[in-house]
Amino acid sequence: MEPTALDELAELYRSMLLIRSVELAIEKSHRAGKIAGSFHSSLGQESCAAGVCANLRRSDVVTSTHRGHGHALAKGVSAEAVLAELFKKTHGTSGGRGASMHLHDRSVGFFGETAIVAGGVPWAAGAAWAFKRQGRDDIAVSFGGDGAFANGVFTETLRLARFWSAPCLFVCENNGWAHSMPVERLFGPPGSIAAQVAAMGLRAEVVDGKDVRAVSEISKELVEYTRSGRPAFLECVVYRVRAHSINDADYRYRPKTDGTDWLSANDPLAAARRLVEQHHPGRAAGIDEEVAGLVALALQSAEAGQSPHPRTAFETVYATKGLEWNGHLEVR
Amino acid sequence: MKFAEAIRAAIDAELSADQSVVVLGEEVGALGGVFTVTKGLVDKYGEDRVLDSPISEGALAGFAAGAATAGMRPIVEIMFSDFVMLAMDQLVNFAAKIHYMSNGQFSVPLVVRLPGGAGTNHGPQHSQALESWFAQTPGLIVAMPSTPSDAYWMLREAVRLDDPVMFFENKNLYFRLAEEIDPAEGPRGLRAAVRRPGDDVTIVSAGRMVGASLEAADLLAEAGFSIEVVDMRYLWPLDYGTVAASVRKTSKLAVVYEAVEYGGWGSEIASWAARDLFTDLDGPIHRIGTHRVPIPVGVPLEEAIVPTPATIFESVLELAKY
Repeated sequence: MEPTALDELAELYRSMLLIRSVELAIEKSHRAGKIAGSFHSSLGQESCAAGVCANLRRSDVVTSTHRGHGHALAKGVSAEAVLAELFKKTHGTSGGRGASMHLHDRSVGFFGETAIVAGGVPWAAGAAWAFKRQGRDDIAVSFGGDGAFANGVFTETLRLARFWSAPCLFVCENNGWAHSMPVERLFGPPGSIAAQVAAMGLRAEVVDGKDVRAVSEISKELVEYTRSGRPAFLECVVYRVRAHSINDADYRYRPKTDGTDWLSANDPLAAARRLVEQHHPGRAAGIDEEVAGLVALALQSAEAGQSPHPRTAFETVYATKGLEWNGHLEVR
Repeated sequence: MKFAEAIRAAIDAELSADQSVVVLGEEVGALGGVFTVTKGLVDKYGEDRVLDSPISEGALAGFAAGAATAGMRPIVEIMFSDFVMLAMDQLVNFAAKIHYMSNGQFSVPLVVRLPGGAGTNHGPQHSQALESWFAQTPGLIVAMPSTPSDAYWMLREAVRLDDPVMFFENKNLYFRLAEEIDPAEGPRGLRAAVRRPGDDVTIVSAGRMVGASLEAADLLAEAGFSIEVVDMRYLWPLDYGTVAASVRKTSKLAVVYEAVEYGGWGSEIASWAARDLFTDLDGPIHRIGTHRVPIPVGVPLEEAIVPTPATIFESVLELAKY
């Protein structure tokens, strides 16, 4: 393996580990009662976010889902900003008003999450098309789950993107579950979603999402293809280890050990670490240490941060200058 | 210039002034829109700037909003405003809220043109007046012009605003009014206008109902009453000041609106006035809105449920005599 490839591998592992560590920290804080609200873990799916985003420029953009912490971190949002947002603090990605499902960081091209399944898909296509019209060769990547593909706006957007040649890469993270609905029941075996997209006339690929190198390689190809002015689709076959959300009683629709059993046999993070160790013994430990330290500091900062003042709830409703939240044009 | 021509002229002017302005919608290109509003624009600006869309309102709205977050200023046509339901998620959950949810990182300078309202006998899925829904949604601006001049200037202003604007065009007005557009007038600054001064009763209205209210005011003048007609122009933000000044002068208020009377934007004006102008009022506030039934097809049925000059006259006469 070439030295650069090794660096890339180490970087992929680091990116995955960062996602895993931040999400575990969120789980821990949530269980300790320090974070209120929902949280949708991408544990076990880190390889898809890391593998795709490793091939993007800072000026490319990503739109994400309710399960988007991994996409945010992989696109370069800092662990500190993500954790602070989960703790609803002013130094979070959205000043503490977005929280788990509304991370946004424009400075690194993370356009953000949306809580509506498939809601962020047309956003990415529109942004990508805008870049093209503006003469930029940046692209957009839209992450969506398998559940999103059942939503009309997803399919509509694929067709629209093809029709208007939007340089957008649609990544479908097929994690086996659309909330409590098994994907196989709805769409058939892995690859079925890509087959549907291919039938719509888009280039569509399937990749084993457990293998971060494979994800990165096919993404590299698809990103280049997209940058040339056409949309493409990638079905990344991963697995949802955790429940749909942290508050979800998933044992009602699957065996209690389902996710953990899968993880102990298939953990993509452990596989990535083994690869790094295989090619460069001792290197992984350094990454482990660095990431652990970084996340510990981020967690500390998030806990210590300021909560937004209640009056700020009335701010930024409108972008138009002078237009207040209540819309009154004159003081009564 | 007719109402539809005024809107076309406004789009033309904005396309010409700013490369980031684009038009997207079903049949807006070669056909020029089912109401001919975009007629000829594709020939002048090309298919890169006047884009025919597949029949996919949801993706279209989200796509345009996404393009707006990335620096474009799209004008989207929803063929009939009734079809906007298919785009609700993208407009209400996304376009209206992304500025807020992202703490100001994104803005959505998007105009959604919505031909709506009754009066053309298109039936229950082509004739609704849905503006109240959007006036209830934080983050949206809701425009509803009643004259060609307003349509022209309000649309030009809408394109330049940094927030999503729901621009309600009453299709019944498209070819019925004609007036010269005065280039000296300029944007309306989100303000209401007094269309007709009067002393006895204030009628607050918008869109097609302004014309109906003015007709009713003529009839009321013959009956000896002087009616002031206020055209709100925008249902959000609301220019309460102009309403208050008028009510303080006339002491009586009627609100006339084409949206469903129950829970409509006119109810909000009535409610606000009942509290803040209580001591200025010398009579009950009258609401004259559309009855809460689907819009039927055919003139006699439609006129039975939508406010008409006759029903406005009747209600306001009662108030004037109070």
